[in-house]
Amino acid sequence: MPREVVSTGNQLAALAAIDAGCKFFGGYPITPSSEIAHEMSKLLPKVGGAFIQMEDEIAGISVALGASMSGVKSMTNTSGPGISLKSEQIGLAFMAEVPLVITNVMRGGPSTGLPTRPQQGDILQAQAPTHGDYQSITLCAGSLEECYTETVRAFNLAERFMTPVFVLLDETLGHMVGKAVLPDKDEVEKNIVNRKVYEGDPLTYEPYNVGPDEPAVLNPFFKGYRYHITGLHHGPTGFPTEDAKLCQELIDRLFNKILAHKDEIESYEEFMLDDADMAVIAYGSVSLAVKEAIKQLREEGIKVGLFRPITLWPSPEEKIDEVCSKFDKVLVTEMNKGQYFKEIQRASGRKAETFDTLFKANGRPISPAEIKAKLKEMVAK
Amino acid sequence: MRKQLRFTGVGGQGVLLAGEILARAYVKAGKYGVQVGTYTSQVRGGPTKVDIILDDEPILYPYAVDGEIDFMLSVADKSYHLFKDGVKEGGIIVYEPNLVYPTEDDKARWKMFPIEVITIAKEQVGNVITQSVVALAIATRMNNLDKDLVYQAMIETVPAKAVEINKKAFELGYKEAEEVLAKNS
Repeated sequence: MPREVVSTGNQLAALAAIDAGCKFFGGYPITPSSEIAHEMSKLLPKVGGAFIQMEDEIAGISVALGASMSGVKSMTNTSGPGISLKSEQIGLAFMAEVPLVITNVMRGGPSTGLPTRPQQGDILQAQAPTHGDYQSITLCAGSLEECYTETVRAFNLAERFMTPVFVLLDETLGHMVGKAVLPDKDEVEKNIVNRKVYEGDPLTYEPYNVGPDEPAVLNPFFKGYRYHITGLHHGPTGFPTEDAKLCQELIDRLFNKILAHKDEIESYEEFMLDDADMAVIAYGSVSLAVKEAIKQLREEGIKVGLFRPITLWPSPEEKIDEVCSKFDKVLVTEMNKGQYFKEIQRASGRKAETFDTLFKANGRPISPAEIKAKLKEMVAK
Repeated sequence: MRKQLRFTGVGGQGVLLAGEILARAYVKAGKYGVQVGTYTSQVRGGPTKVDIILDDEPILYPYAVDGEIDFMLSVADKSYHLFKDGVKEGGIIVYEPNLVYPTEDDKARWKMFPIEVITIAKEQVGNVITQSVVALAIATRMNNLDKDLVYQAMIETVPAKAVEINKKAFELGYKEAEEVLAKNS
């Protein structure tokens, strides 16, 4: 049975983590994400899990990585400034292929910015949170329901691809209270993905000796399967290497394990796009304002549709190209200075000046009225 | 029909709770309710507003629309003046007269009702923390919302040990709103 709840986005993200099988949380509180930690501290002990509030953000992700290496599903939670602090360890997770879910409830930035206000300032940060070459998986919730479903999906993708996965919420979604209809719990459990385990002779176990498009197979520590974990370039057993071929193959594989399986990762929503004369591209809580604006404009006979990427990275680039080819008039609206707009230009091959844009980076939500006014201007052009 | 309500105060007064209860009450009745707060990074003392939208239809954008707000309750002067313009012409404003000082123009623009929300909580109920439920009851009466529905949702939302005192807070708030309305009708 689908479950009807009244909840905040932050509470739903925590509930999702538990339902997805998370057994460990390490983190440090930061507005506007702290309620995820509060909820996890209540829920984890009830399912035999462990919650630790560490002394800072860096220690928070470090213990979460350690827990994941010993085989349990693990998460950390923060907001943009916390990602800045965690970035070195996020790099370790990419390089050593340690699955981890990182929820980021976005607030105004840069630096400490606007702690209590919504912004979508961490879109590029989620794509490239740390130095070096790697591919990020970043999911972005656009409703209360998706604070739940995307967090569940993040755990499954982290285990499938042995990589950190970001779930982006923003202050609006994190703190708003409303009705959400969640999928049946049995259904969620039936679709849970667990990381692969090597069951052969421990003496022949080589965790990083996998196909060119496949993630490493990291057995839980302390079970008799010995291997090395390092942030240095490494060979099949995990021990450091500077062998030119192995180094290239490793980084190629960190790319290919994601890009060759984009069909398993990509997701997006098309809202009233079929019969539309103009398109809006938006994601996260901004899409709620866009949908409201579309509803009102349609009552006036103006047909607009929405394309909403849910998986932001890797981007649904073919789909973005398709939407931008089909519609001359495309409005891109974001609660930042146009961080995803760059990706939309790249994916579509259209120049910036062929789009209309509505960007806001003052910690205030974009309202349906502002979007309507912009779209009406576009109609008149 | 859509109702847009706004509670304003300063950080630390607990205005979030009333909104959450209203949203819960509406959802319980098979309708839709959304609450979203806006606050500052000051731990205490920063202007805070809580927007509540209640509707028979699904609600997409969660913030109330300035200029369309039906009802505002305010317990802090700076929040009152910062957020009052969101209330529609002829809308209802309830204010704590010991803390909020409306202008003469305000009294012409909106239906203004002074109610000593904090004094009721502190002196009649016996705990200032219940001001949020006093405010909830006032909002329920002033907006002709289903009293039993909101009352039940309140009982289910407040901590178990605080149910009795909040029942008292709700009854006193509701009664006060009735009396104020009767006096002004």
